Amino acid sequence: MTNPSMAAAIVGAAESDEIGFALSEKGTTNTQLHIEAISNVCKQVGISPSEIEGVFSAGFTPQIAEYLHIRPKYIDGTAVGGSSFELHVHHALAAIAAGVIDVALVSHGESGRSARKNQGRGTGGRGGGDPWAPGAAFSGGPYGGWGAPFNYAHAMTRHLHQWGSTKEDFAQIAVSARDWATLNPRAVMHSKETDPNGGPITVQDVLDSRLIAWPLSLLDVCLVTDHGGAVLIVSAEKAHSFKTPPVWIAGAGESMGHWDMLEMDDLTLTSAVNSGKTAYQMAGMGPGEMELGMIYDSFTVTVGITVEALGLAPRGGFMELFEGGKSGPGGSGMPINTNGGGLSFSHSGMYGMMLLVEAYRQLSGTAEDGVNGIAGKQTSAQTAIVNGTGGSLSTTGTLVLVADQ
Amino acid sequence: MTDYNKPIPDPDPYTSGPFWEGAKEGKLMLPRCNDCNRVHWYPRILCPFCYSRSISWFEASGEGTLYSFAVQQRAFAPGWAEEGPYVTCFIDLNEGDRMFGVLLDVDVSKPEDIFAKIGSKVSIEFVKANDDVHVPYWKLAS
Repeated sequence: MTNPSMAAAIVGAAESDEIGFALSEKGTTNTQLHIEAISNVCKQVGISPSEIEGVFSAGFTPQIAEYLHIRPKYIDGTAVGGSSFELHVHHALAAIAAGVIDVALVSHGESGRSARKNQGRGTGGRGGGDPWAPGAAFSGGPYGGWGAPFNYAHAMTRHLHQWGSTKEDFAQIAVSARDWATLNPRAVMHSKETDPNGGPITVQDVLDSRLIAWPLSLLDVCLVTDHGGAVLIVSAEKAHSFKTPPVWIAGAGESMGHWDMLEMDDLTLTSAVNSGKTAYQMAGMGPGEMELGMIYDSFTVTVGITVEALGLAPRGGFMELFEGGKSGPGGSGMPINTNGGGLSFSHSGMYGMMLLVEAYRQLSGTAEDGVNGIAGKQTSAQTAIVNGTGGSLSTTGTLVLVADQ
Repeated sequence: MTDYNKPIPDPDPYTSGPFWEGAKEGKLMLPRCNDCNRVHWYPRILCPFCYSRSISWFEASGEGTLYSFAVQQRAFAPGWAEEGPYVTCFIDLNEGDRMFGVLLDVDVSKPEDIFAKIGSKVSIEFVKANDDVHVPYWKLAS
C-alpha cells in the first residue's frame, strides 16, 4: 500500500460573497452559497469550473455539478455532519493518489440561519438527532430532543465529573475564539459594528450568559448563520500551475465511534483519537509538530474533548492550551481557531468547510488580507492540524496540512 | 385513557417487542446474546459484539447508575415545551450497556446537587403513554 501523503495539495479556498446573520433577511439558498463560493475559488486560483474532475459535497453533489455543467469523473456526496468536508479532503486525496482524477472541488453552501426564518429553504446540521436512526425510539425523540446542545451538554457534564474540569476552563475557549474574531472583519461577532453582541468577551461573560442546557451557556454554543465555502485540491504534478500557492495534504484520516450519542462509550473521547492517529502516521508527524489548530467548535466542549483526543493536550488537560489566552492572538501557545471559529465567526450548521478555508489562508500567508483578517491575525505556522467533528461527537476527519517550502 | 402529552415512541415490534410488552407490566426487559452472553442496548436483530443472530430477552433489575445528565432549559416538542426545565440522563445499566432517558424528581434549579449524584444508583419507572406504550423514566434511589 502506497502512502498518499503529499500526493495532493489545496490550491485555493474561498467563501460565498456574504456570510453571517444578515443574509437571512434576503433568504439565501444552499445553491446560491455553493455557487458563489465555487465561482470565487475558481477565480482566485485561475481555473475554469469545467476543468473540475471530482466533485465532493455533503449531499449536494449532483445539484452542483448540474448547475455548473461539470461532467465529473468522480462523484462523492458523503454527508456525516459538520466533519464531512475533512472527509471529502481525505477522499479527494485518495482519488488523486490513485490516479483517478487530478482536480477536485470540495464545496459547501448552507443557509442555516435563513432556514429558521424561511422554513424549507435550507437544511440544518445533523447534530440534532435522526428520527430514522435505528435506536431512535430509545434516544432523544421521546424526551424532547431538539438539537445539538441537547446532546452535547451531557458530554460537558461528564468531562466536568470525570476529569475535574470547570466551566471556567471551557469558557476560556470561547474567549480565545472571540479574541480571534476581533481580527476577522467577516466574523459575525467581530465588533459592535458587525453585531450588537460582538466584540471582546470575558470568562465571566460566558458564565453569565443564559443557560441553554446546563452546563452549556449561550456563549459555549456556536452561532447559526448562512455561509458557503469551497476549496480546490489538485495533484502534486499540478500544484504549482496556478496563481495561488499550494498547501500540502501531508496526512488525512477519518473515523467514527457512533452516530447516536446513546452509543458513545466514553462521553469525553471522540473518534478523533483514531482519525488523528491515521493522519499523523500518514504525515510522519506528531502532535508536537503542529503549529496551528483548526478544531471544530460547535461548542466549547467539542474543542476541549478534541484537542485531548488528538494528543495536543493530555486527557482531562485541555485547559493547558487555553489558559491565560495562550491560544489567542499573540498568545504563547499554539494558535487555535484563528478565524474566530463557529463560536464567533460563522457556523451554518455544518462548519467543517470553514476550518479548511482558514487553514489554507494561514499556511499560504493570506490570513490578514484586509478582508478576512487584519493585523495580528496571520500566524507564523507552517503546519496545521484540522479536525472536523460531526453529528453528536460522532464522526471525525483529521488533516495534517503543511505550507509549501 | 391517559393524559400523556409528550412524543410517544413508535415501537418496532419485530426488533423490540419484548421491551414494550415488559414495559406495560413495569418490567425492564433487555436483549442478551445467547452466544457471548453480553447485553446490548438499543435492541438489535444481531449482537453488536459477536454478530450472533441468537438473542434472548430477560427481565433485568431495572437499576443502574447515573453516568451523565443535562438540565434542558429549552424544549420545543409537545409536552416538553410546557414542562419547563427538566433533566435528561444517561444511565449505565447494572446488566451492562447504557440507556437514555429523563430523571424525575430532582431540583432543576440546583444542577450542582444533581452533579454530586453522578455514579449514584437509579431505578426505572414506566409511565403509561397509551395502551401499547409505556415510556421509561428514571429516579434516583432514595
